[in-house]
Amino acid sequence: MKTLKLLFVLCALVAFTPNTQAQTAEEIVDNFFENTGGMDAWKKIKSMKATGTASFGPQKFPFIMYTMVDGRMAAEVDLQGSKFIPQAFDGEKQWAMNFQTMEAEAADSEASQNYKANEAKDFPDPFLDYKSKGYTISYEGKETIEGTEAFKVKLTKNPIMVDGKEEAHSVMYYFDTENYVPIVSEEKITSGPQKGMVQQTLYSEYLEAGDIFYPYTFDVKMGGQVVQSINMTEVEFNADIDESIFVMPEKATPAEGTKN
Amino acid sequence: MKKAILFLGALLVLPFTGSAQEIALKGKELFGDMNARHIGPALMSGRINDLEMHPNNTRIIYAGTAGGGVWKSVDGGATFSPIFDEHPQSIGVVTLDPKDPDNTIWVGTGETWTRNSVSIGDGLFRSTDGGSTWNEIPGFENSERIASVVINPNNTNEVYVGVLGALWSDSEDRGVYKTTDGGKTWNKILYIGPSTGAADVIMDPNNPNTLYASMWEFRRSGWGFASGGPTSALYKSTDGGANWNKIHNGFPPGDLGRIAVAVAPSDNNILYAVLETEDKAKNGLWKSTNSGQSWEHLNNDFGLVVRPFYFSRITVDPRDPNVIVKGGLNGSISRDGGKTFKDLGNMHSDIHDVTFHIKDSDIMYSGTDGGVYRSWNGGTTFEIVENLPLSQFYHISVDDAEPYNVYGGLQDNGSWYGPSSSPGGVNARDWNSVGFGDGFRVLKHPTKNIIYSEMQGAQNVWRYDADRHKTKTIQPLQQKGKAKLRWNWNAPMAVSHHAPDRFYMGSQFVHKSNDMGDSWEIISPDLTTNDPSKQNQQDSGGLSMDNSGAENHTTIFTIAESPLDENILWVGTDDGNVQVTKDGGKTWDNVTANLTGIPANTWVYHIEASVHGKGIAYAVFDGHTSGDFTPYALKTTDYGKTWTNIISEDVQAPAFVRNIQEDYENENLLFLGTEMGLYVTINGGKNWSQFTNNMPPVAVHFVDLQKQTNDVVMGTHGRGVIIIDDISPLRELSQEVLSKDVHFFTNETFTMKESSGFSGSFGAETQFVGRNKTTAARIIYYLKKRHTFGKMALEIQDMDGNRIITIPPGKSKGINVVTWGFFGERPKMAEGKTFAAGGFTSTRVPAGKYKVVLTKGKKTYEHIIETKYDDTSLTTLAERKEQEKYTMDMYNMVEDLAYTVHQLTETQKTAQMVMEKHPKGKKTAQKLYDALESLRGDLVITSGDNYVASAEPELRERMGTLYSNIASSYDRVTQDRKNNYVLISEEYTAEKARFQKIMEKEGKKFMSFLEKNDIPKPAIKSKEDFLVK
Repeated sequence: MKTLKLLFVLCALVAFTPNTQAQTAEEIVDNFFENTGGMDAWKKIKSMKATGTASFGPQKFPFIMYTMVDGRMAAEVDLQGSKFIPQAFDGEKQWAMNFQTMEAEAADSEASQNYKANEAKDFPDPFLDYKSKGYTISYEGKETIEGTEAFKVKLTKNPIMVDGKEEAHSVMYYFDTENYVPIVSEEKITSGPQKGMVQQTLYSEYLEAGDIFYPYTFDVKMGGQVVQSINMTEVEFNADIDESIFVMPEKATPAEGTKN
Repeated sequence: MKKAILFLGALLVLPFTGSAQEIALKGKELFGDMNARHIGPALMSGRINDLEMHPNNTRIIYAGTAGGGVWKSVDGGATFSPIFDEHPQSIGVVTLDPKDPDNTIWVGTGETWTRNSVSIGDGLFRSTDGGSTWNEIPGFENSERIASVVINPNNTNEVYVGVLGALWSDSEDRGVYKTTDGGKTWNKILYIGPSTGAADVIMDPNNPNTLYASMWEFRRSGWGFASGGPTSALYKSTDGGANWNKIHNGFPPGDLGRIAVAVAPSDNNILYAVLETEDKAKNGLWKSTNSGQSWEHLNNDFGLVVRPFYFSRITVDPRDPNVIVKGGLNGSISRDGGKTFKDLGNMHSDIHDVTFHIKDSDIMYSGTDGGVYRSWNGGTTFEIVENLPLSQFYHISVDDAEPYNVYGGLQDNGSWYGPSSSPGGVNARDWNSVGFGDGFRVLKHPTKNIIYSEMQGAQNVWRYDADRHKTKTIQPLQQKGKAKLRWNWNAPMAVSHHAPDRFYMGSQFVHKSNDMGDSWEIISPDLTTNDPSKQNQQDSGGLSMDNSGAENHTTIFTIAESPLDENILWVGTDDGNVQVTKDGGKTWDNVTANLTGIPANTWVYHIEASVHGKGIAYAVFDGHTSGDFTPYALKTTDYGKTWTNIISEDVQAPAFVRNIQEDYENENLLFLGTEMGLYVTINGGKNWSQFTNNMPPVAVHFVDLQKQTNDVVMGTHGRGVIIIDDISPLRELSQEVLSKDVHFFTNETFTMKESSGFSGSFGAETQFVGRNKTTAARIIYYLKKRHTFGKMALEIQDMDGNRIITIPPGKSKGINVVTWGFFGERPKMAEGKTFAAGGFTSTRVPAGKYKVVLTKGKKTYEHIIETKYDDTSLTTLAERKEQEKYTMDMYNMVEDLAYTVHQLTETQKTAQMVMEKHPKGKKTAQKLYDALESLRGDLVITSGDNYVASAEPELRERMGTLYSNIASSYDRVTQDRKNNYVLISEEYTAEKARFQKIMEKEGKKFMSFLEKNDIPKPAIKSKEDFLVK
């Protein structure tokens, strides 16, 4: 049944997408939401529990990711049976577990502020009500990417702080001209050893998840090579989520007499 | 009615044959995710044209390069990244908008230091988002080279553009242009004539209506250069460019050449100019202290007068009008307002631009023929930026080593060879110098470890014994009674496919040696036009003599020996001749008259003698030195009697052609090196596609195809060596393949390479490291359409259909390349407090056949691949089989332990619950819990961390380590490991028995308690479920 429905939607996409001439960014984004379930369905999403595998070359790590519409999130990775949290946001600060101690540590305040101003607003989709997030969009023409003709839409997000200085922040999205779903996004890495380089994220395996179509696979590419692949096997929207997962755990108190 | 429906149905399923349309995929549609990789080198970097500082952010610096695009540093010049990779790579100027310097960047393309090998630009571009995206500004399509972009700081819609213009021809697209509407419309506000361009335009720092423009009359041809003439002049406007007046008061009479001009940022009355004049004594530095009303001559030292066409930049310290720096061979600095100078500190020679840090004049940046340098002490000591792979190759070649080496010569940076892959990536330290001066062709002897290299004009041709480190100069010299030899700047050499010691060189004659250059024989007449009017290089330079040999003409430029017949030699000359001999040089046919569509005397840049037939050859022609940027490539199948044009409309000017490489298997597969990047045809030239995947439109001077790997290797003039790994899938592309939904390309048997070692990554933080070729299996398939909706998965299975591993598939339309490192899964480890490092090791598969299974929605596509062991392996087959058995034994033992610990943990969880909630069972539960906890402490680590607070390793850790040792070793399993195996397996057997015993004693009582009280049993999974990955 699900397959049938998918087939139907795909046929509908081909049949009803409007003429691809003279696009505006607004039209492209509207078509994307319309073709993937409708704006109302997207707006009903308040949380997500996604289960899947993250691959880094031959290394694979099963994970569960919890995301809330208010920006809180936590990714939980199974590492040799232990629950390891490599990334979380509690609404105010980003935190992660230190690999050596397995204990939670807060990210630097700049990273948290940048996250709060941008990525925390991006669930379930950065383009949803983008104006209320302080974002702007612009159409940048067509380009072939992934062998496929795509509309380029630049999403200008809120400025970020990079090592104490404010910088503009934008992401280029490529929407397939045939069905209007994003297939690639590109952004510059702003800090760390790879700063200045462009990172691409490829979106694929759009599948029915609840009332919408959602990409189940994200491949991250640098310099044309896949460096990370996120594949979700299950996506549950508006799931019951134990919100304590977002709270940064206290560090364990060392037992008396323990050396530092 | 039913019949009608049936008929309609039949129509739908009938193949549509009415007008079978040919599928002609182009560019990114075809190449999918086939990607180029860059291996540099960056250690000598390449020529810089212009540096630009951000006016208020000290971290941001831009470098406009001669042939490698625009690079941006966001860390104060420690490292740079390319930001202009989709546009012409030859850069004239980079300018930031003074009001919006974070976002608005103007780039004028086309290098302005007009040496013989200079590339071309193709317009004016602007970014309004800090360099992420670019738009071309209409109106400058024919500008060829843009020297200046100057912006009114009070009204940034007012922009002046100085167009130097065409180097090799007349052009009306020159002079100073102005917009007042931010670039929508332009007016040419200063135009002198078709041979005089704007060499520099500057603005008074305090008064945007005051402008200075240096106009330069100049021209280059294939055989000469002229700088200067009556129309060269320095102009000033005080009304925003409406009116211009010459400001020559004090200058000597007569013609002028290239003029450098600068105004002191801290005192706008002070101007400096560097003149090229008819009077040698008056050349050099001039100064005005009254905004150009009058001039005083200060200095004509070598550093101030050297090669004005190449060095014409003065920079004044923004805080001190008396500190000035002049570009030059070494660069010069004055601290007394220009009266005296000293050389800048040691760095690569040929300094084209110098900038001062915006806050601290001790910090300076210098753009040279060898990259960007930084100084921290006012210009005395310089250090190189190590991650700018801008090397400018004239030529490259490859050998058949494993991994193969790439050989090549560079503009002003000697000759080199380096590996195509190296442990940890291709580093600066991997490259070996095999020649100095300007480097050009570098060829490896086919069988001996001998390398031939040369410097400009064959002044030296070296035969280098790479084993014994002995060098010998072997260039042919003039012989008694014979003509003086004329050598091109980039003189041709060739090694024979048929006689390994045979070596050819070309002056105006073909020289042949059968003893690696010890003795030479001339085997041709003068094969050029020998036009004496093109042989006056001693007069080259214009006002300043410049007889470097760069303009030597009427010479042989390319020699191609047929790979099928040692007696067939093709020769192309820089003055347009194509000549062929079929008898080893006894007789030569001048087939130039048979060429079709090639203007007379157009430079024959390369001839490729085909492997597909003795009479087949390709010739490419480059007319750029006469201002003709048309792409030309011809094919002959009859020794040059007739020629066919193989350039389609897909390749347009200014992508003039410098090289062509044929495929050795598919005659219709060709690679075209142009001034604007690489083009590929799969149908013999009917259509061409530009290859743009990680491949900028850089000038490709030479393309080679490495035979063993099928790698296309390119020598680019600005971005070093760029490689496209294994192009063999392109051979298979046909209409049949392109019409399939999924097509797997044929693979040769994959060798599972066994090499391990240490690379060290010291310095990699700021150094360029070239990407290696993968040693994994490359599974390559074509998708007719991108897979965006629905599931898609790729599995490697054994031939019985058992899953070995799942790999993320490529989903691009066109060609997809997925790699598999011959790994299976990692074992599931027992849960512990910390990680066991051994658990991150995957198994390796045995040699044999495997299925690649691609699932796309409900459809499944299968492809068989085969792997084999490495011939260089240290083990015998029997030892390897033993190793594989030990590996799997250990893998299973590790997983079995994991399952034991799972049972133990779940049981303990239930016991814990009973202890808390069922007081009656507390004692029984406690006993069991304690017994299991004691056992757990011996099985896995239960305390500490993953660093220095780690606990002593327990059974899991020791088992994991042994597994990892055996699984990852490239050698047999030693007795020491076998002994350890016995120890660990016995220990594990004992611990399992202990677990069994506990469960039989304490466990039995506990289970009985659970049963009696209707408490659910521990949630122990079946082993199969537990081990699911």
